[in-house]
Amino acid sequence: MEKLGLYLGCNIPFKAPDIEQSFRKTFPVLGIEVEDLEGATCCPAWGTAPSFDLDTWCAISSRNIILAEDKNIDLMTGCNSCFGIMSEAKHFIEDDPARKKRVNENLKAIDREFKGTSNIYHISHVLYEKVGPEKIKESLVYSLDGLKAAIQPGCHILWPSDVYHVKEKNSFFPTILKELTQALGAEVPHYSRLEFCCGMGGMRSTDVEKSLKLFTDKLMSMKEEIDPDMIVTTCSSCFLQFDMSQQILKERGMIDFTIPVFYYTQVLALAQGFDPAQVAAISQTPRDAVISEIQSEKRKINKG
Amino acid sequence: MSDYIKLDSEKISEGVKTITELGGHGILKCVQCGACSAVCPGVKAGFPVLCRLLIKKVLDGQLEEMIEESSSWGCQACNRCTEVCPQGVRPQEVVFAFRRYQANELAFSTSAITSQMNLHSYGHAVFSDARELRKKVGLAPEAPTSAYNEKAQKEIQTLLENSPMGELGLY
Ligand code: SF4
Ligand code: SF4
Repeated sequence: MEKLGLYLGCNIPFKAPDIEQSFRKTFPVLGIEVEDLEGATCCPAWGTAPSFDLDTWCAISSRNIILAEDKNIDLMTGCNSCFGIMSEAKHFIEDDPARKKRVNENLKAIDREFKGTSNIYHISHVLYEKVGPEKIKESLVYSLDGLKAAIQPGCHILWPSDVYHVKEKNSFFPTILKELTQALGAEVPHYSRLEFCCGMGGMRSTDVEKSLKLFTDKLMSMKEEIDPDMIVTTCSSCFLQFDMSQQILKERGMIDFTIPVFYYTQVLALAQGFDPAQVAAISQTPRDAVISEIQSEKRKINKG
Repeated sequence: MSDYIKLDSEKISEGVKTITELGGHGILKCVQCGACSAVCPGVKAGFPVLCRLLIKKVLDGQLEEMIEESSSWGCQACNRCTEVCPQGVRPQEVVFAFRRYQANELAFSTSAITSQMNLHSYGHAVFSDARELRKKVGLAPEAPTSAYNEKAQKEIQTLLENSPMGELGLY
């Protein structure tokens, strides 16, 4: 069984632990052993060290990568920002020998050294490249046949493509999450703003109204063009934006509908038959109805 | 026509030097084509001084005048700009270099303080006591991260305190 270090970040363990639980349930079924990276910190988020000092950013990110290096395994993260930030930090260190030296000087104070032997994967890359849609299909107990999903890949697994070692054929027309969601049996139609930003992140903390404006454009594009049964994302930040902000628009009377939102491994775990009270228990936007639909008797796959 | 920008070569080189040293190495390669701004979600949402315009202002010697400009904090670091720039400027790196210039002059919004404090105390920019929530979904109440690991907290505090961030009086 391939072993990978599970880098949790901040949003997932403290705001959406049901997403963490969905990782812990689904990966072993797919032949991936998940190992904790004890003592991992924040990636560090864009608004912290990256906004102050490039070398400090690299030192903090590399400390997280070292935790995987020490175990001789690669690292996987469920948050797009963590993936982007740590991949870029690794690139900044490896691209500049002088920086690598400075960062290792800084790390000496905590008795650590960055070598660069572990790769960074996003969970969607692991599912797509190491597991593959076929194996995912075989693991299912329920089929999402006839259900329609709008996918939200998120920004930080797409750009800048030159620093990522797993990438889409066309980053402005991403297909990895589409194929993963189709493997569940769902229909995944294209909508025009598929690769658009959802407005989470620095934008939301700087000016929530501007963030909501982008979010509304994206949500309405999904609703009007494909009218999905659910939104599926592989970014924990996008997940929180879609979950929280639909409620704000609803309260303001700007929308008269809401669309259930899932992190990809949550729908996967549901389709594998895991308990929704563990793998899909926390959301502001209601999703009970679609969860019951997914796990309904009529969707049971006959394995003969 | 009194409202014009007077180009000052000393201010221009000073600004370019500051941005380059803080990580915006590609700034001088910019040809002001605007490809970056066309795909920028920040610009689309209404933060005008990102990508092309931010670079133009630095190249005009307007760095100091922009110190309070909030557009940079609306940058999503999405790197769409980096992907499309035909000149290899890597505009996101310029935006973040500009942020670093602002941050080191303490010209950032107060909303950024909590995440810095959290990072220093727990090793997490976003932290809340989620033990009950975690138990509810069947997980160990304490996540295996720095949040409940004193040695890890000490390590991140050492890294932060020995860095230029330690000199800003944030912690
Ligand atoms: S990284 Fe920032 S400046 Fe570049 S396109 Fe994204 S939001 Fe705009
Ligand atoms: S795309 Fe590149 S060259 Fe064109 S304006 Fe933006 S930074 Fe300058």
